[in-house]
Amino acid sequence: MHKSRLKSIYLSLLLAFICLLFPWSGLALKLRPDFMLLVIIYWLLRAPNLCNVGTAWFIGLCVDLATGGTFGQYALVYTVTAYVAVIYQRRLVLFNGTQQLVYVFLLLIISQIVLLILKTFAGTGLFGWDYFLPSITGILMWQIAVTLGLNTSRNTRGS
Amino acid sequence: MVPGFHQNLEQQQAPVLFAHGPSPFARLVFFAALSLALMAIDSRLQYLTQVRENLIELLHPLQVIANAPSQLYRFTNEYFSTHHYLLNENKKLEELALEQDISLQRLNTLTLENANLRDLLQANKALVESSTLGEIMYVGRDPFTRKVIVNRGTSHGIVAGAAVVDAKGVIGQVTRTYSSSSEVTLITDKSLAIPIQIERNGLRAIAFGHGRNNTLDLPYLPANVDIRRGDKLVTSSIDGIYPAGLAIATVSEIKVTSDSPFARIVCVPTGGIENHRQVLLVSIPQAETLVSTSALVNEGVAVDNNKKPSKPHAQE
Repeated sequence: MHKSRLKSIYLSLLLAFICLLFPWSGLALKLRPDFMLLVIIYWLLRAPNLCNVGTAWFIGLCVDLATGGTFGQYALVYTVTAYVAVIYQRRLVLFNGTQQLVYVFLLLIISQIVLLILKTFAGTGLFGWDYFLPSITGILMWQIAVTLGLNTSRNTRGS
Repeated sequence: MVPGFHQNLEQQQAPVLFAHGPSPFARLVFFAALSLALMAIDSRLQYLTQVRENLIELLHPLQVIANAPSQLYRFTNEYFSTHHYLLNENKKLEELALEQDISLQRLNTLTLENANLRDLLQANKALVESSTLGEIMYVGRDPFTRKVIVNRGTSHGIVAGAAVVDAKGVIGQVTRTYSSSSEVTLITDKSLAIPIQIERNGLRAIAFGHGRNNTLDLPYLPANVDIRRGDKLVTSSIDGIYPAGLAIATVSEIKVTSDSPFARIVCVPTGGIENHRQVLLVSIPQAETLVSTSALVNEGVAVDNNKKPSKPHAQE
């Protein structure tokens, strides 16, 4: 059971990574949701015994490599987001659909704020409001996935 | 055997209600510290560049897969482009080639003349740059930096620092090289500064990328500076990186406010930063590439004989 679950984790992460590697440009680049983070959040909530803060950190490193930014930047962002996701993970069972959506949206916003802080320290300069667009497209993607039948509630038997 | 069995049993009884291993907070502290250390090492010391190069190589197959759909789209588009369109384009290009042929002929004589004059004046020897044609593969993945990836790398002799130029002007500079690709920071990126000269009056200044808009700024110039709308900025070549006289941008807006001693000057880049695929990577003129005037003369003669311009001239 664990093995098949692990396989789907790896496969979904790989797919998200390829989505990240698509040659995005212009407006699409600005709107591009953070695929990797969405997939990690999903697995953090769904299978916390297989996916943890450390996994998020490692995936962050891969994203750093792909974006060509400073090593450790996205790693830190994903670590912090994963931590927030994990500490409130058990309450998720009590959440209804809308609450869950707000929760995931908050996680996406947190990740962008952490990234903003890091970039400000690095001196990249100020960003406009369009900086937060990926969170909005991200949550839309999440909602679409849920509507299409993705089960986000945690399997209590932990199979 | 026994521990395995024990684990199995434990999972069945108390599955994942209680997390095993260190607490999330301990993990957060550990991994956050690790990433901070990595960031410090990567930004302050140069240990990780080699590691990054090697890892990028591993990513190459995935990159090919991800690029496949857009490649396919382009391929089919090109395939189905109409006969009429191609004929038109061919005609246009032939006209352009004729025009450029004429100016190239003049250029050859001018090069010879210039070399002679330099000899007479015993001035410094001219620099001759070599260049490579590259193609933009994709735009950098960070939407908040202006970078593109070009399909030429260290295996084609590209060195970090090379100027990148298209048919209309400078578009950026190579900032990182991999074995078969390199990262080009565009002149509109906030971290890139480029020494310029106003074509009209020879005034020298430094242009900085704006970062958010596709424009350049000319900061720290007094409010009464002699710059007008429509002035052309060209490379001044005092940096020893960009060949002199390449177009960079045109001044589009000058704002003078009474509360600031400086003028706010906005320039629009002339090169097709957002819409061209083919670019020319001009290597940095180095001491070894200093060519004596006699060699230049010989080259000029050879060019005349062959009726074929040498590569760097062709693009000017």
